[in-house]
Amino acid sequence: MLLLIGIFCSFIVSFLNNAPDSERDSAAVQEFLGNMETAFRAHSLWAGCSEEELESAGEGLEKYVMTKLFTRTFASLPEDVKVDEQLHEKIALIQQFVRPENLDIKPIFQNESSWLFAQKELQKINMYRAPRDKLVCILNCCKVINNLLTSVSAKENPPGADDFLPVLIYVTIKANPPQLHSNLLYIQRFRGQTRLVSEAAYFFTNILSAESFILNIDAQALSMDETEFETNMESARALLSGLSADNNVLGQSDQNAGPVPGADTSEAKLSFRSNRPPSAATQPNFSVASTETKPKNEDQYVKNQSSMEKIPSLSDLENRGASMLIKEDSINQVFQSFPYLYSQAGDLTVGDIEDLLNNYKRLVIKYVCLAKGSGIDNPSPSLPNNQVQTQHPDFEFNTESKAASAGEPIDEMQKDGPEDSSSVLSESLESDESKLKENEVVSSRVEEGS
Amino acid sequence: MATSGNKNMNAKLVLLGDVGAGKSSLVLRFVKGQFIEFQESTIGAAFFSQTVAVNDATVKFEIWDTAGQERYHSLAPMYYRGAAAAIIVYDITNQASFDRAKKWVQELQAQGNPNMVMALAGNKADLIDARKVAAEVIPLGTKLKYSSSNQDMSKIVVQDRKPEAQTYAEENGLFFMETSAKTALNVNDVFSEIAKRLPRLQPAQNPSGMVLMDRPAQTPATASCCS
Repeated sequence: MLLLIGIFCSFIVSFLNNAPDSERDSAAVQEFLGNMETAFRAHSLWAGCSEEELESAGEGLEKYVMTKLFTRTFASLPEDVKVDEQLHEKIALIQQFVRPENLDIKPIFQNESSWLFAQKELQKINMYRAPRDKLVCILNCCKVINNLLTSVSAKENPPGADDFLPVLIYVTIKANPPQLHSNLLYIQRFRGQTRLVSEAAYFFTNILSAESFILNIDAQALSMDETEFETNMESARALLSGLSADNNVLGQSDQNAGPVPGADTSEAKLSFRSNRPPSAATQPNFSVASTETKPKNEDQYVKNQSSMEKIPSLSDLENRGASMLIKEDSINQVFQSFPYLYSQAGDLTVGDIEDLLNNYKRLVIKYVCLAKGSGIDNPSPSLPNNQVQTQHPDFEFNTESKAASAGEPIDEMQKDGPEDSSSVLSESLESDESKLKENEVVSSRVEEGS
Repeated sequence: MATSGNKNMNAKLVLLGDVGAGKSSLVLRFVKGQFIEFQESTIGAAFFSQTVAVNDATVKFEIWDTAGQERYHSLAPMYYRGAAAAIIVYDITNQASFDRAKKWVQELQAQGNPNMVMALAGNKADLIDARKVAAEVIPLGTKLKYSSSNQDMSKIVVQDRKPEAQTYAEENGLFFMETSAKTALNVNDVFSEIAKRLPRLQPAQNPSGMVLMDRPAQTPATASCCS
């Protein structure tokens, strides 16, 4: 066993000493995982283990290695990062005007609200570091789509790829997960080749082809005429440049962060209390930047702030965000990265309190500073505690500390990823909501409902 | 790609065809109609796996459905890459779907794997009254079978007559069946015929098997293995 650890360490060290090279890195990891798996399967320590145990040991090894190598292997090449940015920007525009019929989604499936669950699954992809976990997010998304297709279809007309792919493309456009391209490449390169087969391979091919379709979208691909397409793109650009153009870019450049969907969080921040009267002084729950706890996001925060200074007042800002949010088809997805947002008081545990309180204090300080900076004299950023807990839609805390803990390599080994594909895939749709919650709780390693 | 154990092999099979040709009905009829343990795919629509027995061996098909809409045509190579077999499906009541099927055949011949086993399936064969695509060129149909190795002869036929399904298939080294997902006509037969024709990727102990199955794409269907 010691020998294996030695091999392991020397692999990591030699890997990290070389400059990034996607093909060589991928081949090295695949070879290493293959060899290690063969080695421990033959090792006396593992004698008598069931196939299942060996399989999960192999999975564990892959997860551990890739968590160690994540920073080095994920979105580490400038050309990949560039495609990420292009893709994200293009989707941000297209999602403003694409309609289900542009993609040949049959009328019976054109119920957009039902696709929100699928979008949520896909958006979780940046919460995980292991290739398997990221892949499971994609498979869960596909699973949700398939469930819905099957439940709506008539028996004599079963759904197939004619129905599935257009919906997957639509969902991908609406979800617009940051760094999609890098995520897909990462899975392709570092998911154990013996495990990316069969059904997983099929659905992974579907998301690859969805990406390819989106990257190549033009007027013809959406059955629009050129001028209509260009007009739509222009007005989408105008709409976005008003508020979140630089935030989009910022979200993109935030390579290794956890759940920080750039544009989405900023929109959430700006429009959070859209249904309240626009008096900034009584808005204690207004979060300035959900990313401020991480030192490496410091400059992003500064940029966010400077872009805000151009804007006259908090309430103007808020109104602007609110009107954007109303136009958005999928308000829920904007908020999905704030884990406490949908929590009930009973969901919280003693362990959450410190976290919540710290965040609250930061939030208050940020808010007061912001309000001062915008010329508001007496901001009153406090709410009675009970109100804070029960009025959860008014309540927002940053998710970054969770992301940070999820990113700890050692933790990653012990922490569960997203639901195991086999169990998730046989699960019914109804459990998706609770799964989401579960994952978040697990990722902060707090026991639920204690 | 087809991968084999001793007697059991896996084969990736891709379904191509116009939207509405009945690809998913066909595959569903196949996977649900088998007596060998019906293995429900875990995610559902669009991907299925099903095992068929051929002689004393089994072939486990991994069936990849593809979107038939024209706007997704260019994505197809991502799906048929590495496939051991393809079923190109058209609707016998829809001439346009047959023309589309021919496009698929050409594309696969140009870019695909030369060892890929291809089947042409004229689906909805129960709708005889609405038929738009003739299965055979009636006057010459039988004669053509015997002369199918004569390329010149079949070309003459093609020029003279509308190239209908059987003729087209023979010329292009596919095998052809009319199917009905509704009545189950020929559905299992298409898959088991493919299973029989898959090259056995066994090492040299069985060289005769290799020779027989070599390059089916260039061998007229009726004259292939057993002649």
